[in-house]
Amino acid sequence: MSLNEEEIERYSRQLALPEWSGEAQERLKSASAIVIGLGALGSPAATYLVAAGVGRVGVVDPDPVELSNLSRQPLHFTPDIEQGKAESAAAKLSFINPNVQVDPYPARVEEDNAEAIVMGADVVVDCTDSFETRYVVNDACCAQRVPLVEGGVLGLSGQVMSIRPGESACYRCAFPTAPPEGSVPACRDAGVLGPVAGVVGSIQALEALKLLTGFAEPLTDRILQIDEGGIARTLVRTSRLEGCPACARVPAAPQSP
Amino acid sequence: MSSALDLTGVPCPLNWVRTKLALERMRAGEELRVLLDPGEPLASVPRSAREDGHEVRVEGTTVVIVRR
Repeated sequence: MSLNEEEIERYSRQLALPEWSGEAQERLKSASAIVIGLGALGSPAATYLVAAGVGRVGVVDPDPVELSNLSRQPLHFTPDIEQGKAESAAAKLSFINPNVQVDPYPARVEEDNAEAIVMGADVVVDCTDSFETRYVVNDACCAQRVPLVEGGVLGLSGQVMSIRPGESACYRCAFPTAPPEGSVPACRDAGVLGPVAGVVGSIQALEALKLLTGFAEPLTDRILQIDEGGIARTLVRTSRLEGCPACARVPAAPQSP
Repeated sequence: MSSALDLTGVPCPLNWVRTKLALERMRAGEELRVLLDPGEPLASVPRSAREDGHEVRVEGTTVVIVRR
């Protein structure tokens, strides 16, 4: 899939990178990504994937835009309140890059629809804010062998990990059980600062670009722990769990780039 | 084999990007002749090409790059 003149100019700053190439850009153009959750993480993640030229981006969120979202979810504007987040996000994303096919899915990801949503995607970026949904997304991506970028933010801390099902630790390998109810405050109780989520969501987009193009080594078998609002960072090693109910029996995906 | 690109009037870094994409489509040892504006383009494009490991010589305002 070759690049036209408009695309060469639009993507010229990333094409100028020594690590990037026309081939990487073409690979991105023929790729599809799914961003699940269009809030504080999903706003920057979807924005950068669309801006960078991923060919197709599906944006998934069942909720309407609320006033309290606007302090940290820059894809949604004040006039969008009460509109669906999927539609609100898709409208802005299409303005950012009309070359990209943006598909809004106003759906809640649950066990019975998760595999259908991630099926056929080249990468999934999980920007949801519940442990329950993360396991559902992880399990669906493992079953469908779709590479996944997990992310989370709480207070001034956050985490990101990349997963190649069948090859590297999945979310369940790293976190076999959800923390007991009540031990971790739900996001809305704990508070989130926009730019901190912006750091985490941006790193998730960067990881997705790595998984799609192979331009750099993704954070597989490692968890990036972010503290002090993005200033302090630690890499924590993790590895596949023997007998992991999600990924132990998943064969490695055919090697992408 | 040799190919040519006229990148006069094309600013940095777009001129380097066009050069890089052309080189990507060539085979090792093939020659690309790039016509550039004097000033920043002529100073910058040869440097980028050398940094990427290509053999470069400058003839007036033409940069001759042998793909690595």
